[in-house]
Amino acid sequence: MIRVDKVTKEYRTDHTAVRALRGVSLEIRAGEFMAIAGPSGSGKTTLLNLIGCLDVPSTGEIYIAGEAVSGKSRIELATLRRQKLGFVFQTFNLIPVLSAYENVSFALSLLGVDGRELRERTLRALKEVGLAGLEKRKPGELSGGQQQRVAIARALVKEPQILLADEPTANLDSDTGREILDLMAALNQTHGTTFVFSTHDPMVMELAHRLVMLHDGAIR
Amino acid sequence: MKFLLSLAWKNLSRYRRRTTITAVALAVGVAVFIWMDGWLLGAELESRRNIIWYEAGAAKVLNQEYLEQIQNLPLKQVVEDAAGVERALASLGLEATRRAVFSGELFLGEGSLFVKAVALDPATDGRVFRLQETVRQGRFLQTGEPETLLGEWLARDLGAAVGDWVTVRARSRFGAFQTLDLQIVGILNCPNPVINQGTIFLPLDLADQALELEGAVSEIALAFPEWQEPEARLGQIRRALAGFPELAVADWQELARDFLAIAEGKRAGTGMLLLLIFIIAAVGISNTMLMAVYERVREIGMMRALGMRDLSIRLAFLLEAGGIGLIGSALGLVLGAALNWYMVRWGLDLSAFIGDMQVGYRVHSVFRSAWHPQALVGAVVFGVLASMLISFIPSSRALRKRITDCLRHV
Repeated sequence: MIRVDKVTKEYRTDHTAVRALRGVSLEIRAGEFMAIAGPSGSGKTTLLNLIGCLDVPSTGEIYIAGEAVSGKSRIELATLRRQKLGFVFQTFNLIPVLSAYENVSFALSLLGVDGRELRERTLRALKEVGLAGLEKRKPGELSGGQQQRVAIARALVKEPQILLADEPTANLDSDTGREILDLMAALNQTHGTTFVFSTHDPMVMELAHRLVMLHDGAIR
Repeated sequence: MKFLLSLAWKNLSRYRRRTTITAVALAVGVAVFIWMDGWLLGAELESRRNIIWYEAGAAKVLNQEYLEQIQNLPLKQVVEDAAGVERALASLGLEATRRAVFSGELFLGEGSLFVKAVALDPATDGRVFRLQETVRQGRFLQTGEPETLLGEWLARDLGAAVGDWVTVRARSRFGAFQTLDLQIVGILNCPNPVINQGTIFLPLDLADQALELEGAVSEIALAFPEWQEPEARLGQIRRALAGFPELAVADWQELARDFLAIAEGKRAGTGMLLLLIFIIAAVGISNTMLMAVYERVREIGMMRALGMRDLSIRLAFLLEAGGIGLIGSALGLVLGAALNWYMVRWGLDLSAFIGDMQVGYRVHSVFRSAWHPQALVGAVVFGVLASMLISFIPSSRALRKRITDCLRHV
């Protein structure tokens, strides 16, 4: 499903160069529920961003569903993200002026889905994450856990092959974090979607089917 | 597109106060533009009418040399065969009247001042000019009588009244000084301030005798049935007057070049002022959109992460800015139209300011606006398009950032 081949990533500032990843190689199979863990600054978010085609490696190659990512144009990368990838962010990143329903349907409308299908799929996704009846609420009217559920519904509604979650429990209390993780695990089972997390939360590491530890930009 | 429109509309209400302030700034710009444009157009149209009705006619036939020195009003360069000219023009079906125009010194009591004197034919002047309709006190001139008409402002300055006698001293056609004793028989309140300020009128036959004109006149003024299409008319007149090589034909625009120059200058000046107003509004919109984009960099990052194309994101901001532009322009249109309606209906009385000075426009006291539909539509379209254009820069800047940097933005 995903192959990361000798990937390095270097960030340059005016005077210094920071090597965030040092030749990482990794394979993620379809349907995996996997966590990339490590201390702060270990490069886990960088790796997740590269897998999610949000950034490009300095060297090495990433293959998604057998397709090399490097050399793709901005438009091609946007299409890849739109069609195959779903994202859940640490800070939810919902659009505050839109309701839960609109935030979720937004992801579908990017794919050109509209009308009855858009409505049905959106409501189904919200129901799956336990937000039936809260469709009209705006993010400001929802709790942190509920907002993260909207974000998960937004990621899952388009039925992506891979769902990438950057520290999805970091902004939640432990009980809510646990609920979110259980939800994602259940969705992984139901839909067969590949889940890849970056985390330093022991609870996530415990629940993950596979754990990849990063330290100073390399897999240990 | 439906989603983008909905998002743009919702984002407008997100920062309600900021949107309102920006829209109001734009509305003021649009309203001032509509108001001033309507005012200038009204002043121009009224001036044009007042020049044709009271000052220049639609066109004049004059001696070429007289035309070149028209500011000096020389009586030496005249139309010798006025009757012949009228015969030549008869086939064109144009109304015509003769006038002799000269400068003279007007004496009343112990005071005097230089005036423009117009000797007219009371029997035919009404065919071309509407002076007769502007007599406010007394009566119009009669042929063969030693009498004069004065503009209201001139009469006020002189302290003259109907029944008073004035003396006019002027040089005859051959340079000799002549004096004419004239009784004021009427006071004019002409909508054209040039007439009101410094012109007197007297019968042509009286001037002919006193100034040794021997049937010659300074000009033969013409009225066109449709003065909107002067070019074709002028061509016909020139052909009809081919037998009078010393004569020239000048339309009202050539005769009122001072007005046209001033009108053009005022338009340019007003254009600069309006540009300044729009720049202020544009800075407001630019600032609002800059803030909107800056505050939503992370949101932009999320949209890009989800696969939204840059073009769509840019379009979302264009629509949002266009929304501010539309609200502001619509408000400005309503406000500007209301102001313009008042100005068309009631006008603004500036007689206290223009009584003693030349403002160029031939408007007597009340400046009335006119409706200019193109300007109304143009102002709204400009407001919307300019707003959209302005949003292009901040959204481009945000889209140049890497997605990961956008997502990290605080």
